[in-house]
Amino acid sequence: MTAQIELTNVNKYYGAYHALKDIELSIRKGSFTALVGPSGCGKSTLLRSLAGLESISSGTLRIAGEVMNAVPPRKRDVAMVFQSYALYPHMTVEENLTYSLRIRGVAKTERKKAANEVAAVTGLTHLLGRYPRELSGGQRQRVAMSRAIIRHPKAFLFDEPLSNLDAALRVHMRKEIRALHDRLGATSVYVTHDQVEAMTMADHVVIMRDGVIEQQGSPLELYDQPGNKFVAGFIGSPAMNFLPAVGGQDGRSIILDLGVKQAIVLDREVQPGQALIVGLRPEHIELAAADEGVLSAQVALVESTGATCFLTMATTPELSVVFNGRSEARAGDRVGLNFAPGSIHLFDANTERRLPD
Amino acid sequence: MNTVSRDRLMLVIAIVLAGIYLFPLYWMYITTIKSGSEMFATPPTFWPTNPQWQIFGDVWQSRNMGRYIWNSLVIACGAVIVITVLGVGCAYVLARYRNIWVDIGLFLILMLQVLPASLMVTPIFVGFSQIGLLNYPRLAVILAIAAKSMPFFVVLVRATFMSVPQELEEAALVDGNSRVGAFFNIILPLARNGILVSAILIFMQAFGEFVYSKSMIQAVELQPASVGLNSFMGPNTNEWNNIMAYAAIYVTPILAIFVLLQRRIVSGLTSGALK
Repeated sequence: MTAQIELTNVNKYYGAYHALKDIELSIRKGSFTALVGPSGCGKSTLLRSLAGLESISSGTLRIAGEVMNAVPPRKRDVAMVFQSYALYPHMTVEENLTYSLRIRGVAKTERKKAANEVAAVTGLTHLLGRYPRELSGGQRQRVAMSRAIIRHPKAFLFDEPLSNLDAALRVHMRKEIRALHDRLGATSVYVTHDQVEAMTMADHVVIMRDGVIEQQGSPLELYDQPGNKFVAGFIGSPAMNFLPAVGGQDGRSIILDLGVKQAIVLDREVQPGQALIVGLRPEHIELAAADEGVLSAQVALVESTGATCFLTMATTPELSVVFNGRSEARAGDRVGLNFAPGSIHLFDANTERRLPD
Repeated sequence: MNTVSRDRLMLVIAIVLAGIYLFPLYWMYITTIKSGSEMFATPPTFWPTNPQWQIFGDVWQSRNMGRYIWNSLVIACGAVIVITVLGVGCAYVLARYRNIWVDIGLFLILMLQVLPASLMVTPIFVGFSQIGLLNYPRLAVILAIAAKSMPFFVVLVRATFMSVPQELEEAALVDGNSRVGAFFNIILPLARNGILVSAILIFMQAFGEFVYSKSMIQAVELQPASVGLNSFMGPNTNEWNNIMAYAAIYVTPILAIFVLLQRRIVSGLTSGALK
């Protein structure tokens, strides 16, 4: 597998502020990689460093095998789609699309041909003569994408391109971007703060926090095997439940503290007396009759969207449960909760790291 | 009081204030075409009984106004060119970088604006005389005006540049342009309106500039119209209609420019603020 973009030991400082810390990242040619994390985590800085809009303080950045540390943006041959689209307001759609070709001295007839080809792919043919201000949000988004596509760059960089669209259009564009990526066989790096976007679109998800890559892998790897409590809480919606617990004296059980202490037998070993955090995804918990199930709890709140039911339990900390279908349970009812021992994630309470299964 | 009658009241107040404000202008035009006796009549007439239209030609001829206006134009255009070429770059840098040094620079620039021309003229005169610039008096005045008006221009144009999103520039860089190319290709066309408006305001200021021209230009044939108007007035002047004619010829082109462009000027001035 060839790496299209390779970062080795990359650091970035703004004065004394350490924005990127020892970034090691290899992006396979043809892959769709999502950089995801809360705001201020360094994901945009990382993307801008790939584009050359920020310089890296140390380490090596390679694009298609060449060291790009000090190469200006125009010589990196990457295309970027900005959050605000950054369409040139004084140029028509066609001029926006062909601007990069014009700078490179491509002849006018060829530029026109390229613009028509790309517009046909992205459905902009009838809009080529318009100005950006005359377009809707979705159309502008398409122009921004087309402007990147027309160049056949070594990599596409997306900086939260969907965050200015409404929810329905966002879901639609998500599929469209991914389909386009597959059709072009492109290498894409996609920055987002929305884990659903990252999970649904990417082959490879990189989760960042405070300038550090917390974990990277395929979306389902991150979902099934989160490396620490932060990743576990970030991936999945609604978020994973975190419950304090200690290892049981027999070494094969844990004692959960949900206001009332409850013992649970595990399918693996733990150190007796070790302080733990138990991670339990809401969708892995099933409701049972009050006297059955592994745990017993009182219902505090029932929210239903018709298809899906969200239950919040009156425990400390609160425990949320989600399942498809409807529930007979009402606030104040006592219910039993069931879950497979294998669906429990264990984290060390001090380091917040995942304990080996 | 409902909204309509309040709006009407506001309108009336606005018209009255505008009337008071514009009355001197009206008086200038009306005095110009009055005859000598009517000018001093009591009570004054508000519309001349016997308009003297030929006065404009007479004054233009007798005062050699063509030469004065030409000098004013040379000085104003020179100042606008110097200020625009230097000020655009300065404003761009001040708009794009935010740090303590930029803040200090901006503060110093605004300080320059605070000092009145009549205070600055003596040190400037001495300095220019020492380096021999006074041998080129119109150039000396252009430089002095440029120094005086640059802050105003820089502050206005900086606001214009700040309203151009930085992402556009970055998009141009990624699209394959150099920084210089991105500036001329993307940023400058988008800031054109603001720059144009600021340049026009500078032109109007420089066209009427008096203090520097009066003190630095001794030769009559190089003096601008403002100095010419001043030399027209003596302690015992009574030919007010001629003076007013001179003034009318001098300000009417400026007024015309302003009226024609006022929509753009107003929108240009507020564009940075509203964005």
